[in-house]
Amino acid sequence: MSSVLENLVNQPYRHGFVTDIESDTAPKGLNEDIIRFISAKKNEPEWLLEFRLQAFRHWLTMAEPKWPNVKYPKIDFQDIIYYSAPKPKKLASMDEVDPELLRTFEKLGVPMNERAKLAGVAVDVIFDSVSVATTYKQKLAEVGIIFCSISEAVREHPELVRKYLGTVVPPGDNYYAALNSAVFTDGSFCFIPRGVKCPMELSTYFRINTESSGQFERTLIVAEEGASVSYLEGCTAPKFDTNQLHAAVVELVALDNAEIKYSTVQNWYAGDENGLGGIYNFVTKRGLCKGVNSKISWTQVETGSAITWKYPSCVLLGDNSIGEFYSVALTNHHQQADTGTKMVHIGRNTRSRIISKGISAGQSNNSYRGLVKIVPRAENARNYSQCDSMLIGSKCGANTFPYIQVQNPGATVEHEATTSRIGEEQLFYFASRGIGAEEAVSMIINGFCRDVFQQLPMEFAVEATKLLGLKLEGSVG
Amino acid sequence: MMSAVVATHPYIEALLKGHEMPRGGISWLDERRAQALERANALTVPTTRDEEWRFTDITPLTKLRFRPARATPQLAISDLSRFLAPEATVHLTFVDGVFAPELSANAGLPYGTVVTSFAAALHTHGAVIEQHLARHAGFEKELFAALNTCHLRDGAFVWVARNRKCPTPVQILFVSTQQETVAYPRILVVAEAGAECTLIEDHAGLGDEAYFSDAVTEVAVGEGACVRHVRVQRDARAAFHIATCAVALAKDARYASHAVTLGARISRHNLNVTQQGEGSEVRMDGLALISGRQLADTHTLMDHACPNGRSRQLHKCIVGGAAHAVFNGKIVVRPGAQLTDSAQESRNLLLSGKAQVDTKPQLEIFADDVKCSHGATVGQLDQEQVFYLRSRGLSPNRARNLLTYAFGAEVIDRIPVPSLIEQLGEMVLARTQVVGDA
Repeated sequence: MSSVLENLVNQPYRHGFVTDIESDTAPKGLNEDIIRFISAKKNEPEWLLEFRLQAFRHWLTMAEPKWPNVKYPKIDFQDIIYYSAPKPKKLASMDEVDPELLRTFEKLGVPMNERAKLAGVAVDVIFDSVSVATTYKQKLAEVGIIFCSISEAVREHPELVRKYLGTVVPPGDNYYAALNSAVFTDGSFCFIPRGVKCPMELSTYFRINTESSGQFERTLIVAEEGASVSYLEGCTAPKFDTNQLHAAVVELVALDNAEIKYSTVQNWYAGDENGLGGIYNFVTKRGLCKGVNSKISWTQVETGSAITWKYPSCVLLGDNSIGEFYSVALTNHHQQADTGTKMVHIGRNTRSRIISKGISAGQSNNSYRGLVKIVPRAENARNYSQCDSMLIGSKCGANTFPYIQVQNPGATVEHEATTSRIGEEQLFYFASRGIGAEEAVSMIINGFCRDVFQQLPMEFAVEATKLLGLKLEGSVG
Repeated sequence: MMSAVVATHPYIEALLKGHEMPRGGISWLDERRAQALERANALTVPTTRDEEWRFTDITPLTKLRFRPARATPQLAISDLSRFLAPEATVHLTFVDGVFAPELSANAGLPYGTVVTSFAAALHTHGAVIEQHLARHAGFEKELFAALNTCHLRDGAFVWVARNRKCPTPVQILFVSTQQETVAYPRILVVAEAGAECTLIEDHAGLGDEAYFSDAVTEVAVGEGACVRHVRVQRDARAAFHIATCAVALAKDARYASHAVTLGARISRHNLNVTQQGEGSEVRMDGLALISGRQLADTHTLMDHACPNGRSRQLHKCIVGGAAHAVFNGKIVVRPGAQLTDSAQESRNLLLSGKAQVDTKPQLEIFADDVKCSHGATVGQLDQEQVFYLRSRGLSPNRARNLLTYAFGAEVIDRIPVPSLIEQLGEMVLARTQVVGDA
């Protein structure tokens, strides 16, 4: 059993190259001057600078959270580059994008043009911290959808950004959200006006390129009454021996009858097999179901990062609103993941569903941490949670920490968790049908994750299946 | 030796004030008490900012100045007869924390079974006590275990020799009678290899006084031995009850816990079970039936430290009024504890609009060839079941009472003492009728 498992585990990181592009970089360190520098670089209005400075001042009074089930050396926040942008910044069309950069995306398997044309995906690419190109903008504009980098949105649609920025994740929400609010450099902004169903899947691609730079992107998606959108996000980073910090904030707002579907395939560099290097992925993602009958659905496939610490959450404020969370988290080698979700039921007849699948291999540690909270006024709330873990090898750990807080007797809350492994018997069964161990494992894992993969948009589902296969190749015998 | 009281927290200082080390002249015991006192001085009162106490605010407890009872009242056995199980012909009674031999009966036990107070047992079974006392219930980080240990004066000692079986259940009854007193109940149970016994640990209040009971129970189950542990907490509704129970299991040992929580304004029960040998088997059942403004917190830890262990846990809460039930059930499977088979269920029934439940099942698994599961549900009575009973001619209230009773009966019916099943069943029925009207 062990040899196949081990091979599976020892798959090299395919996205680990550095792109040699001249970048415009701020000096290391964090203080009010750096924040003013970032703000000035981006020609931001006064209110945004004030927003950043207030967040920074609040951050200074906060302490790093200690409760996650992860271990890492103390982060020196003065040793991080908070602004790093590829130099040729202003682009009129895709042709002007640095060919080196385009080649990077080709290496990554994200042929922007091709994907845009063939798959009809509009991609907003975030390289280090600055959005380089947005495809398909025109087509979206025709139906009134605004899809651009957040810096552009600040310039072009300040009233919208100002109205919603920080309303779901307030600047002082938590340590890393406060840090992000102070120093965020770019991210995506997406606004779907009343009654519009977004005609294509929107997509952002993140990549950290500069060593010792942090990535602090900020995503804001607003779906007005009756609007709907499906949004995809993918992430990679090159191999460096030092750890890099990624502290993003994602805010979703769904008004009456709106629907937002947010999918992530996260494959940041996870460090080598000895746990050296890798991304610290400390992310705050939260969706607010503000209107009645609104729906927010999170789907994530987390395979990368040395440490993952994120809880995509739904605040179910509107009556009859629905929150969903589908997650596959895979950890290998020395990776650590403490991830899960929060479902806060406030409105009447709110429903939530949590499906979480954790796979641990190598010496990794994979924790599910979730909160289901039913406040006293949330009449008739309903929650169903299922979190399953699979262990591959005897040195890894799988933990679950579900918090269930119910303050209304009309609520029905169910939680189930199981732990299992790929057993000899299952492999024997496959072998007796002429299927080799490796293929058997891949089939078992795909079956294990099926409930989540079914939620992913088609191309992502294929990508995710392949990614899991690659990550675990050869780890079963 | 009289260690100085230099507690970091005024409340702890008040509890320790006037604390004199009992002088037993037994050096190892004095030493353990001194260590506990040192920890009690150093530790601070847990607040809701501590993860382990997040949902249980014990501020009301710290506002009251409790002192140990000075004189204990004269009670007659008839005062206690409603608590004593007829099957338990052997019983020890402690009144306000002090052993009451006149209210106890421990004669006529067969050879190889000892049920007595520490004071008596230290002379005859000193070595056994030294080996186990304050060795299983750690007080390094647990303030209330440290406080209990440094006040350790007397307690109940139950010992069953190798391959012997205690023929009747043993009941240890702790009765509290006085306002604003603190008692430190303590039990040590040692079942040697192949031994078998049934223990009824009973905490009761005679009236409705506000007192504080800080209990520690230690159970050592030898190789292939079997201990059944029934725990009834029926303290006064104004009382505070904080208890730690530590259980250590040797190879192939069996342990079953049946804990029923009915009383106290704020109660906390920590049950820590460690499988120190291979192939041991554990059942942990719990029922909390609370109403009014009661808070009942149960924290269990099932530590699978060795391979081939098996555990089954069912914890139920019936919460009425503005009561608040907390459950934190942790299952740890340590590296190497392969072929562990562990299942946990937390079922919660909310009977009123202001009732609250916080449940947190927790799995921490570090071995791959294991079978572990947990499930948690929170809800109200199934309307279809109520409808079914109504279609059989039951009134809405009767239907609800019957279903609530049945919900609790699943735990109570497994108690290995028939008279307790009947008594507790009646209590559940009576209590749910009260809360059922809410």
